[in-house]
Amino acid sequence: MPKCIIDGREAEFSVGENIVDIAKRIGVSIPVFCYHPGLSVVAQCRMCTVEVEKMGKLQTGCSTPATDGMVIHTNSQKVLDARQSTMEFLLVNHPLDCPICDKSGECDLQDYSFEHGSQYSRYTEERRTYVDLDMGPVIQKNMNRCIHCTRCIRFADEIAKLPEMVAMQRGNATEITTADGRPLETDYAGNYSDICPTGSLTLKDFRFHKRAWFLKKTPTICAGCSRGCSIELQTHDDHVYRIIPRENQAVNQYWMCDEGRFMYHAYQEESRLCVPWFDGQELAWQEALQQLRAKMTGALFLVATDLTHEEVDAVSQLAQFYGAQLLAFGSDTDADYDAILRRTNMAANFHGLKRRGLSWYAGQKAELVIIVRAGRTKLPQLGETPWVGMGVFWEKEKTPSCQGILPGLSYLEKNGTVTNFQGTDQALKQAVAVPGMCRSVPEIVMQWMHGGERG
Amino acid sequence: MLLSKKKGFFTRIYIVEIIQGLAITLKNFFFSRKVTIQYPEERRAYSDRFRGLHYIKATNGVENCTACMLCPTVCPAECIHIEAGEQADKEKYPVRFEIDLLRCCFCGMCEEACPKDAIKLSAIYEMATHSREVLRKDMLLEQRGNK
Ligand code: SF4
Ligand code: SF4
Ligand code: SF4
Ligand code: SF4
Ligand code: FES
Repeated sequence: MPKCIIDGREAEFSVGENIVDIAKRIGVSIPVFCYHPGLSVVAQCRMCTVEVEKMGKLQTGCSTPATDGMVIHTNSQKVLDARQSTMEFLLVNHPLDCPICDKSGECDLQDYSFEHGSQYSRYTEERRTYVDLDMGPVIQKNMNRCIHCTRCIRFADEIAKLPEMVAMQRGNATEITTADGRPLETDYAGNYSDICPTGSLTLKDFRFHKRAWFLKKTPTICAGCSRGCSIELQTHDDHVYRIIPRENQAVNQYWMCDEGRFMYHAYQEESRLCVPWFDGQELAWQEALQQLRAKMTGALFLVATDLTHEEVDAVSQLAQFYGAQLLAFGSDTDADYDAILRRTNMAANFHGLKRRGLSWYAGQKAELVIIVRAGRTKLPQLGETPWVGMGVFWEKEKTPSCQGILPGLSYLEKNGTVTNFQGTDQALKQAVAVPGMCRSVPEIVMQWMHGGERG
Repeated sequence: MLLSKKKGFFTRIYIVEIIQGLAITLKNFFFSRKVTIQYPEERRAYSDRFRGLHYIKATNGVENCTACMLCPTVCPAECIHIEAGEQADKEKYPVRFEIDLLRCCFCGMCEEACPKDAIKLSAIYEMATHSREVLRKDMLLEQRGNK
């Protein structure tokens, strides 16, 4: 393998890798604005300049591939001076309104300005300002903060495959905007806010609700479709405030879709059922299960495609206990929804249930149907057949034939394993406390089968 | 370790010490200047840097605060609660701003952290109340000083 030397440390690399990536791997951080590993390289912010021996001028680390024996300095005086000048240049028109800006605390511009910039501004002219157009329901634009890195434009072109972001005018008057000032159309608009290194593009949904530094971060998996993107749940005081994607080259690279990003709201709604309910009244667990045990003749168990393997295991034990049949329900096809991330099957564990060899529900008759699901799979058409729900349900789903609800956990509140469309088993991780009187499916099943006096 | 010291006869009967102590008391009682004042008619002047009841400075009737959340971040007593919102003429402002004075330790860190010259600690130190109410935004907006 070829080797280069960065700040006196030897680093191996594969041919074609750029200096920024190699440096990052050996723990040397080079500040970047326009470079994003998931997008093409344009080298236009000049923040990543480094000194390379035997090359006359400073080189941009993001666009210079390393060569064997290259000697690179990332913090020589020349480099530090260049960074300070670049910072000053980028901040010439910047409003420096960090106290108001929602990016504050997780902003590259703020961090690098603190690290490499000057405390004082020499600029005395009037600053350039823009009037901001509405960009639709997802993104709030504030062009005064933009540093024209064009990450958003490249994201639209290369990832969202919808060239809706453009740069108008040029030079000092450059403005990043949507084509014809239309609202954003892509299903992946939330990513604009993630990749923007400044507070120019912020999420309307998250704006002003919580400062970034208060958030507790839990790495988990999105349960929105059979892709299972790697995500990070950001919570405070057991309330989810935001979801952002985590890097996972095999599944979602650096991105996630808007549906997955915002679907956590449904699970925090008032109308989610969080108290055991049987025959028209709210009951304690003990009593609800007592009543249910008396009714279990001719029962059929249906497990949804959004349950974890652990939950299906528990329910199949229960079905065996009663000698009842166990079937799966939910859409039984899956394909690419678009050529980006989304899949047509909107359940996290469809491929897991397929792998377990369960057969699908097709209108089989039963006296009582026990539906177990985690809130994502659509309820099956049961007609007049009485049913009892175990898992996540909402007030509006209580049909007249619904006999009882045993409230369970959603993907925000449980640990478990699901299988994505590639056949990879991935782990869900609990991020917030269990709401109300909800209980996990294995817990409910154990009490159902063995009794016990746990309230 | 306990050391027992041998004490003299006069020390052991204490009489000399008692007389000396009484002499100091009497001297102060009759001959020194009084240090107490007739509060509340009389009040002591405090330094400008005294840290008392909070207020939020306003310019032209609008609070300086932009709900940046730096004061709740720095507050060691975690007694500042702010909810941010948006309105037409101000991108971000505090919809709700409460300080739980019962928990506040008057350290003044909030004043120091504020980038907007908004939160201030006034010279008011009389804060006894009959209720446990927190200091709400409307109460905070009362201008209580000239800091
Ligand atoms: S809006 Fe953000 S991502 Fe787009 S060019 Fe400006 S700074 Fe870069
Ligand atoms: S593509 Fe699927 S798994 Fe990924 S974020 Fe969207 S809904 Fe979630
Ligand atoms: S004075 Fe100290 S304890 Fe009181 S609100 Fe300010 S920061 Fe918190
Ligand atoms: S630090 Fe100042 S501007 Fe920021 S929230 Fe507190 S009072 Fe408002
Ligand atoms: S990151 Fe290299 S020039 Fe912008």
